[in-house]
Amino acid sequence: MTKIGIPRALLYYHYYPMWQTFFQELGAEVVVSPPTTPAILAEGAARVVADTCLPVKAFLGHVLFLTKKCDRIFIPAIRSMGKNNYSCSKFLGLPDMTRAVIPESPPLLEIDIDNNQGKGNLYRAIYRLGRHFTWNPSKVRQASLAAWQAYLNYRKLMASQGLTPPETIARMAGTPETEHSNHTESAQATIALIGHPYLLYDEYINHRIIHRLEQANSKVLTPEMLTAGELESAVARLAGKAYWSYEEEVVGAGGHYLQSGADGIIGLMAFGCGPDSLIMDTVRRQASRQRTTPFMSLTLEEHTAEAGIVTRLEAFLEMIHRKKKRQAERCE
Amino acid sequence: MRVSMPHMGNLYIPFKALFQRLDIDFVIPPISNQRTLSLGTKYSPEGLCIPFKLALGNLIEAAEMGADALIMPVGNGICRLGYYAQTQEQILHEIGYANVRVVRIGISEHKLLGLLKTIKYLANNASWPRIISTFRFGLTKLNALDRIERIVQKVRAVELVKGTANQLFAQAVDAIDKADDYNTLKKAQADYLDRLDRIPKDPQAQPLLVGIIGEFYVLLEPFSNLDVESELGKLGVEVRRTTFTSSWTKFSLFLNSLGINEKDRIHRAALPYLKRDIGGEGWESVGEKVLHAKEYDGIIHLAPFTCMPEVVAQNIMPSTRESIPILTLICDEQTTKTGMLTRLEAFVDLLQRKRRAGTNKQPRVTVRGGYT
Repeated sequence: MTKIGIPRALLYYHYYPMWQTFFQELGAEVVVSPPTTPAILAEGAARVVADTCLPVKAFLGHVLFLTKKCDRIFIPAIRSMGKNNYSCSKFLGLPDMTRAVIPESPPLLEIDIDNNQGKGNLYRAIYRLGRHFTWNPSKVRQASLAAWQAYLNYRKLMASQGLTPPETIARMAGTPETEHSNHTESAQATIALIGHPYLLYDEYINHRIIHRLEQANSKVLTPEMLTAGELESAVARLAGKAYWSYEEEVVGAGGHYLQSGADGIIGLMAFGCGPDSLIMDTVRRQASRQRTTPFMSLTLEEHTAEAGIVTRLEAFLEMIHRKKKRQAERCE
Repeated sequence: MRVSMPHMGNLYIPFKALFQRLDIDFVIPPISNQRTLSLGTKYSPEGLCIPFKLALGNLIEAAEMGADALIMPVGNGICRLGYYAQTQEQILHEIGYANVRVVRIGISEHKLLGLLKTIKYLANNASWPRIISTFRFGLTKLNALDRIERIVQKVRAVELVKGTANQLFAQAVDAIDKADDYNTLKKAQADYLDRLDRIPKDPQAQPLLVGIIGEFYVLLEPFSNLDVESELGKLGVEVRRTTFTSSWTKFSLFLNSLGINEKDRIHRAALPYLKRDIGGEGWESVGEKVLHAKEYDGIIHLAPFTCMPEVVAQNIMPSTRESIPILTLICDEQTTKTGMLTRLEAFVDLLQRKRRAGTNKQPRVTVRGGYT
């Protein structure tokens, strides 16, 4: 059985159940790399120029981990997820970049996704990917329909139960869940964490920020807990029309939580991230215009020190607690 | 309505001709300088590239001069550029220029017609024949400028008195700027080409040939790349660059719609290493390296700090089979001239040694006097 490697980085958090179902339906075995470790990140970072952004460095580390453990590695090149919106160059050049900096990697399975070109193009791209396993178009069709269903289930489960992507993936796989320590009842503050899932849920990269917030008695909200409609209307309010493929995770979630549901917002971004440098700033500007919900952005890179993050988190939470106390006193 | 635009090299000259002939109130912000950069950096989000910062600085300085319709290029699928105009408009509004509008010129989809329509709008609905004839005049100026610059790139390397070509170039830019009809323009062009040809040159010189590749803006705006081409000229290096605004307009506005693309050759060369367009000039950077590896002695790759396409290109370039020494210079508000000069000197030294050792190409036979 062909072993397909999927790096646990970047778009894994968006689409893993879909990819897994697709390849399994076509009779392949799926191997996933473990959560990021210091060694994975260090090895990935050693392969590229320093200016490359943190998530891509982590991604390459995962590819290195999978080398020799599988027959092929799946890396999509995503140009566009909808009409007139585009991905970062690094998503587009990911397969080529991987081949260039990791020459020893097993052959790559690539797929070009450009939804700007219409559905026909997408279907042809999926068929070309499926042809590595079977010549039968109807088998590829079946596999892709099952994959799409898995994706819908994944989103639904996440939105309805308020779960994070790693929790949802674990639940769908049927593995016993780790105890979820959400102090929803005793929460002193509700903090919205906005940013791309590959930063929010990679615990090594973000120094376990969700865990830290929960330890400090805060309830954590993430972009996945909002519906597509809520995200879209917030994007429309703040930026007009989304230009980036994953803009709603930042601008949509930021815009929504600025208006309702959160006592404070923390934006996570990676150093050197092109799109985030603009869209996180859109949220920051909206927050400073509105002056109702405090906003803090944290920039992550491989040199980010844990102590630095902890200090800033403590100060931010402290400020929110005081603000809430003052408001409560005023009400009395 | 007072119109203005950010700088990119000498691009203001054809636009000035165009707008003045259409009786549009057009102001030119000061040529990009340290103040422009400081202003731009101060009001930009921190992770943005130098093209954004300098353009924002230009726009602020234009707004200070009373301009309220500022032209910015936008485009889909290029890079962050598609998002710049709206962000800059918001920033300008926030720092007190509330009545300023950023007029967007689509450079990726509407192209010629979009550009002409924007000009028509800015010119208070001037008649089409008038717009097209002035547009043509502007293009002629642009072509004249680039034709002279191409020669200057060659003369700088071999002139006996360093700096002569640059002086003449500055005079030529001025003359072309002042030229008011086709005849004067033609005369100015011929005159300066002739004078460049007559500059005393070193007959023995066999200058190194260095290709300059990379991101469009930093290639074309000397202030952003610390005038790397003149510095190379001082070191006796001939510079070759395929990116010129005139060739961009020629292909992007006219010939591409007829199915002719000058970049096909470059893209084909890049294919084994980069299969797809990744936005910006990433594809072209890889392609030009592969294509010219045999032809040039070395390549200087210019990229703005945090430029997404160029980072991908930079990662891919070392892995190509076609090998040639490359120096990547990252342009940023933190870059200093001294640092750049040291690196250039070391690079040129390396290329010279390589040529002397004969590990590189055979010295090229260059024909003297045939510059024009």
